[in-house]
Amino acid sequence: MSLATRPRRTALPPEEPSIPQRSGGTGGYWLYLLPGFALLLIIVIVPLVWNLLLTFTKWKGVRTPEFIGLGNWQKILTDSDFWTSFTNSVWMILAMVVVPTIVGLIVAALLFDVVGRKFGGKVGAFLRATYYLPQILPIAVAGIVIGWIVRPGGDGALNQILGAFGIPAYDWLGQMPSALIVLMLVMVWVQLGYPVVVFMAALQRVDPELYEAAELDGANWLQRFTAITMSIIRPEIFVVTLTCTIAALKVFGPVYIITRGGPAGATLVPAYYAYQEFFTKRNVGYGATIATVLTIVVVIVSIIFIRVQNSLERKERAGL
Amino acid sequence: MARNIRRTKTLAMLAALTATGVILSGCTSGGDSGGGDGDTLKLWHYEGADSAMGKAWAEAIKIFEEETGATVEFEEKSFEQIQKTASQVLDTDAAPDLMEFNKGNATAGFLASTGLISDISDAVDEYGWDDKLAPSLQTTAKYTDDGVMGGDTWFGIPNYGEFVGVYYNEDAFAAAGLEIPTTYDEFVDVLDAFVAQGVTPLAEAGAEYPLGQLWYQLALLEGDRGFVDDYQLYKNPVDWQGPEVTSATETLKEYVDKGYIASDVSSVKAEDAGVSFINGTSPIFVSGSWWFGRFVSEATGFDWTMTAFPGADLSLGSSGNLWVVPENAANKDLAYQFIDITMRPEIQAIIGNNGGLPVAADSADITDEKSAELIATFNGVLDADGLSFYPDWPAPGFYDVIVQELQGLVTGVQDASTTNANLGEQYDEGTAEFR
Repeated sequence: MSLATRPRRTALPPEEPSIPQRSGGTGGYWLYLLPGFALLLIIVIVPLVWNLLLTFTKWKGVRTPEFIGLGNWQKILTDSDFWTSFTNSVWMILAMVVVPTIVGLIVAALLFDVVGRKFGGKVGAFLRATYYLPQILPIAVAGIVIGWIVRPGGDGALNQILGAFGIPAYDWLGQMPSALIVLMLVMVWVQLGYPVVVFMAALQRVDPELYEAAELDGANWLQRFTAITMSIIRPEIFVVTLTCTIAALKVFGPVYIITRGGPAGATLVPAYYAYQEFFTKRNVGYGATIATVLTIVVVIVSIIFIRVQNSLERKERAGL
Repeated sequence: MARNIRRTKTLAMLAALTATGVILSGCTSGGDSGGGDGDTLKLWHYEGADSAMGKAWAEAIKIFEEETGATVEFEEKSFEQIQKTASQVLDTDAAPDLMEFNKGNATAGFLASTGLISDISDAVDEYGWDDKLAPSLQTTAKYTDDGVMGGDTWFGIPNYGEFVGVYYNEDAFAAAGLEIPTTYDEFVDVLDAFVAQGVTPLAEAGAEYPLGQLWYQLALLEGDRGFVDDYQLYKNPVDWQGPEVTSATETLKEYVDKGYIASDVSSVKAEDAGVSFINGTSPIFVSGSWWFGRFVSEATGFDWTMTAFPGADLSLGSSGNLWVVPENAANKDLAYQFIDITMRPEIQAIIGNNGGLPVAADSADITDEKSAELIATFNGVLDADGLSFYPDWPAPGFYDVIVQELQGLVTGVQDASTTNANLGEQYDEGTAEFR
């Protein structure tokens, strides 16, 4: 019934001509794909299946795992730490996806359309490299520096600066809301360069005459940004949003280096929680369960993104 | 078709050969002391080269190579590396012949229960190491079949000890007109006096072990050996709302409220707390003997001393880390010979004269006055059977639990009763299989 009433997909208009195929079919190509499939099997599929099997066991990481059925899955439903960690993932998505993408879009557009045109390409390239710098820095190094900046008491750089204005020292990483906020700000700083670089590369596709024509027609910067920039770099926005969302869900390094999930679990995230269960509590089965849930969430999010992107592209090509 | 059959037969033969090889190699590595060349001792430890133990082990390696003619293949590991991944490595042929490992139920006990490290009771009898170790030091070297310390089977040998006491900045005390306290009441009076003078007296760290150790020390003030046995050896269930734990948690909260500890303690790391004692910011530091050597070399701007926690019959502490012999070790006999060398007076004296606490040293060999003072304090704790281990030992991962729960307490997110309940829940879960 539902199938009968479902609207038909918009027909795809022909794209660029496909690569001409050999008369013998595609059989020969499979040989070249074999190494890739072998690596996929060894590095992804086998560990994934093994991880899934471990979710039904109690195991300390050595000797034989003990089968316990759905025990780990039942536990995860009522585990407040697990739900806290996923709530914190939402905050990480805000810090690693939403803010960097929006700000990155604006910064890229400004660098390309304003700075690039008025001050020359070299200034734009320099500023782009500056934004990208935190992406190159190892997070272990960045984390230690951040730790120095926000350390408690009067020793921390931030507290010293605030002290100059008569603001008392604050324990930034030791209190509940501020620890998460500091972590989020660090992630915005780390992530911002990635969308800026991708969006600026995408903007190279824009014909400068488009901007000039729009300017002659009296369009201001905001109108040019929404009508030209946004529409042309939409595929890159999807790529950035998808990859950053996956990174935000899997975030581990900054939490490990800066807060270790504290204070009192306030900055716990699923990947760090799984690590704790795996390596410190030796609840490998439960750690595997958390990791499996994380994997499922990442896969679902990826599928949704790709489907939405394909649907929009289809509509665009259909001229809708 | 014939070609296919031939290929299948070849594959089957290869598989059989591979399996045979695996089985044979498994047999060889798992044997008592077979498989080794008898000329190379593969040794892992994680002591810094400048530490008391690092210096002692370096000398022991030299003596071992001279006396046995064997070569030591030493691999320097980090504590984290061994703690997190050793169990996986020990299950393979890559296992060393001798390894330093952390003591306690969740660490050495876990390895013992899984059969990854060897029962070395015969070697203990042969070399007479048990005669050199005080009974309270033997607790962490012997385990039950379930991996609970205090059992009958030897799985490791400690060469040094450690305990938690109180470091006092004597110059700061003199400047404040205060005496070094000898009772708990005097200790609290001193804390009050420093606070009244605008000084936060206690160097503390809530992001790492020091705060949890202070909490357990406060519980020990109320508890006795029975409480320690229940908590550490699972003799009876621990009452997490009982007098010991309740007193510890409430007192710790009071320490923060009264300003004995800085209000921003929850994000402070152990290193920062130690440095605040070294640079004279905080006049008192409750922590372990492992700081002693560093304070000797770095806290040189003032006179300082260390005592056991005032008024306490029980102190945190234990034997140091253990030499353990992996079950898959290829040269077990060489490993035992090396352990024996580390128990010699000359090696023990190196530990003692460099800020460590030797377990079998000749007191005449300890020439450094400051070290002799520390060793005397430690021997006082040993004589009183006062070693009470560490709060995070009973369950794997309980260290993180204590850090997180006490952070919740000192930041005011949860009250003492909730903190105790949360700690109890995690403790019970982590120790369920032992009880």
